[in-house]
Amino acid sequence: METKIAFYRNKLGITQEQLAELVGVSRQTIISLEQNRYNPSLLLAHKITKALKQGKIEEVFGVK
Amino acid sequence: MIGKPEWFKRRKYTGWGFTPATWQGWAYITAFVLLFFLITALPVIGGLRTLLLVILAIIGCVDFIHIIIKMPRDERDRMHEAISERNALWAILAVLTIGIGYQAAVSAAHGTKYVDPVILIALLVGVVVKMVSNIYLDKKN
Repeated sequence: METKIAFYRNKLGITQEQLAELVGVSRQTIISLEQNRYNPSLLLAHKITKALKQGKIEEVFGVK
Repeated sequence: MIGKPEWFKRRKYTGWGFTPATWQGWAYITAFVLLFFLITALPVIGGLRTLLLVILAIIGCVDFIHIIIKMPRDERDRMHEAISERNALWAILAVLTIGIGYQAAVSAAHGTKYVDPVILIALLVGVVVKMVSNIYLDKKN
């Protein structure tokens, strides 16, 4: 899994802590996701995509 | 319930249970310890002291279970918890099985047949809990 979470998060100007709060996970989970070390559930991927104001999950999450 | 789950964090590296994460968590633990010593030092007859200690223990146990169940976890925490608990269980199972084997061998060498019933019950309870969990999970999803 390859994510563009950090890119879209920086574009929105929000911190990892703020994104974590928006989607209801810990900051550590956001760090793991941004470093491509954790594959999220479909529900979490959907929440993150929505929080980052993107239309499609594929825009934020891709398969290597 | 008295204690709030957000006052604590899950114990990850030093066993099971939880550890205080905020000053309220420390205050909660301190209050329980102080109450325990206060009750044991009370100048009352033994029966009443025992009753108070039992009540304190029940409140403590119920609150402990509530805190553990309601402790905030996200999906990554739950996955890590499940994997580490599974690994711990396998280690415990290995030790119990070796222990039973050792007991059986030693007792057989002495011409008797003895294995610790507590270990057997623990293994049996584990089998039942696993079965019930899988039946529940299969029905749920």
